[in-house]
Amino acid sequence: MTQFNELLLALFFVSCLMMAVSCRLLHCIRLVAMQGILLGILPLTISGTFSLEHPVMSAVNFLLKGIALPALLYMAMKKADVKRELEPVVGYSFSAAIILILTLFSFYITNKMGTPVHSAPLANIAIPASFTMVMTGLFIIIARKKALTQVIGFLVFENGITLFGAAAMREHPVIVELGILLDVLVLVFIMGITVFQISRAFSHVDADRLNQLDDLPDNGEVRS
Amino acid sequence: MIIAAIIIVPLLAALAAYFSKSSRASRYILVTAAVIHTILSACLPAFGEPLHIFSNLELYLDDTALPVIAATTLLFLLTSLYMFSWLKEDQARENPDKSSMKHSTFIAIMLVFLTTMTLTALAQDLGTLWVAVEATTLASAPLINYRRSKTSLEAMWKYLLICSVGIGLALFGTMLIAASLNAANLGLSYDILSVVARTAKYNMMWFKAGFVFCFAGYGLKMGLAPFHTWMPDAYSEAPAPAAALISGSLVNCSFLAVIRIWEITPASLKSSCGGYLKFFGFFSLIVAAFFIIRQKDFKRMLAYSSVEHMGLLILLIAYNHHMMARLHLISHSLIKMALFLLAGNIVMCYRTQSIAQVRGLFARLPKNGALWIGGLLLICGTPPSPLFFTEWQLVTSMGIIPGTAILLLLLIIFCGMGYCMLKMTEPAAEKSAVDENVEKLHTVPGAAITLLLMLGLAIGAMFLMR
Repeated sequence: MTQFNELLLALFFVSCLMMAVSCRLLHCIRLVAMQGILLGILPLTISGTFSLEHPVMSAVNFLLKGIALPALLYMAMKKADVKRELEPVVGYSFSAAIILILTLFSFYITNKMGTPVHSAPLANIAIPASFTMVMTGLFIIIARKKALTQVIGFLVFENGITLFGAAAMREHPVIVELGILLDVLVLVFIMGITVFQISRAFSHVDADRLNQLDDLPDNGEVRS
Repeated sequence: MIIAAIIIVPLLAALAAYFSKSSRASRYILVTAAVIHTILSACLPAFGEPLHIFSNLELYLDDTALPVIAATTLLFLLTSLYMFSWLKEDQARENPDKSSMKHSTFIAIMLVFLTTMTLTALAQDLGTLWVAVEATTLASAPLINYRRSKTSLEAMWKYLLICSVGIGLALFGTMLIAASLNAANLGLSYDILSVVARTAKYNMMWFKAGFVFCFAGYGLKMGLAPFHTWMPDAYSEAPAPAAALISGSLVNCSFLAVIRIWEITPASLKSSCGGYLKFFGFFSLIVAAFFIIRQKDFKRMLAYSSVEHMGLLILLIAYNHHMMARLHLISHSLIKMALFLLAGNIVMCYRTQSIAQVRGLFARLPKNGALWIGGLLLICGTPPSPLFFTEWQLVTSMGIIPGTAILLLLLIIFCGMGYCMLKMTEPAAEKSAVDENVEKLHTVPGAAITLLLMLGLAIGAMFLMR
């Protein structure tokens, strides 16, 4: 079982790395879906104890993060008609290097801070994995231009937080967990609609070209 | 019972408003729901039995959340009264080909927004608190896009992305704090605000990491510099009632979250964590001062004034003036709401947000203009204003050098705002008639300003009696 869990956790690292180097949005969405499915499986296998709440939460996680959210993203991608991230702010090979450095950094941090008292077995790998995902998500939001890629980055970030919750905390109150999932679902739903509206109004979805609202002096004209 | 009602009533009203046939019916639903919400909120402190949701998570109103719920319900009531006539006037002035949101949809979202804000105030564990604060973001984002223009779409996108990432950081922080708890006798991991947790032991390193993330996340949602960038965009693009609610009561919800985290911070971490509060409080004031002078858009100027006041609120907490922080919170909410509603009236009359293009305010909107200047004096803390007392307490308690720095920054902000707002009242080149229709909309902001003046005078009298 330990080996199986280690494999699952290793897949999280791999997915982060692959996400950083892939330019096709469909590929990124598949990777997010894979992370969601892994997050559905992991709570069942990682903790030593077994309780009734685990299967329920696993199923919900699996359905929402593994299927529903990627499907929403896919639909937004189709409607907005974008396929690739062509000119990222940070190049792909350099991104890979940054993700590797972030991975090392998260292992260093976890070593330094120690694992929390109530953490699950294997937390010494799961916690760095979650830190890596959180930082990869933030990195994707910063380093990519397309609005849709930023939503994908947000989901990776969110998955990282979920993994941390699964690895480092005791019993979760199910209602809060469901509330969090509901929030994320609604958020991605609204963001998907907004991406579509942006693509319709501006005929592009480059977030860095959304710059009509600004306070810096070179953009001095006030709209009327 | 009351707690269940206060959450369910606005939701049902939202449904009813969404499916209502006419704009008029949905407006009546809005005002009715607002009145019921106010009555229920008034009953809460006395009769609010804790509501158990699932195992041992509870919803009830405690002392800390009292000013937040008071401000929320009062503001919502006033804003809904304003909206009653505003929507009609706005529809009459809007070009028919422009595709603004349907009134019934707008009102329904507004009511959902009210529910989420109420839930934030009632949440008694960090998990529910997070869910509620994130829900406020989700419910308020569509309100910004009321006009459905390119710029409002841009503002909504920035608001959604920046705030969601921020709130995500807060979730991470919440989990870090939950993981830092060493006590084994707690039923649930988010139940950190309970009495057991107050005496529990924390792993200090994890707690501090959690504090930093939570403060960054909720601070971003509050609009503390340097995470304030969504604020001017969202406020300037949102229609007047939405801007009034977001600036007046939404920021209070995030501020409540910061207070909750600050309250459970162990004593040994108070000094280092307090350092962060002080730094970001000061930094917000500095940023606000820099962006307010030479501001060209009056709604954006009001947004930077919000940044300033969030900084002051955080400083009040960091220097342990909890009562003053409450007073500041309520007064700022009321006055900022009044100012945004007045700004909305001015935009409606002049059809621009540019300070340079608004002249002769007293000629075209005499009552609104007078209130606009009154609002300026109140928000800058001119003596009868309650903000004067809070700022005075803060400055006198913080020592000579930081105190002087704060006073200097407040002076710069006062000059900047005064210059911008007085410029708008200069006589215009050509004569113009009073805009009667817009002039009628002055009652609600007028009532808010009067209320605030009375509050200020009462506090002043209390100070003198002592």
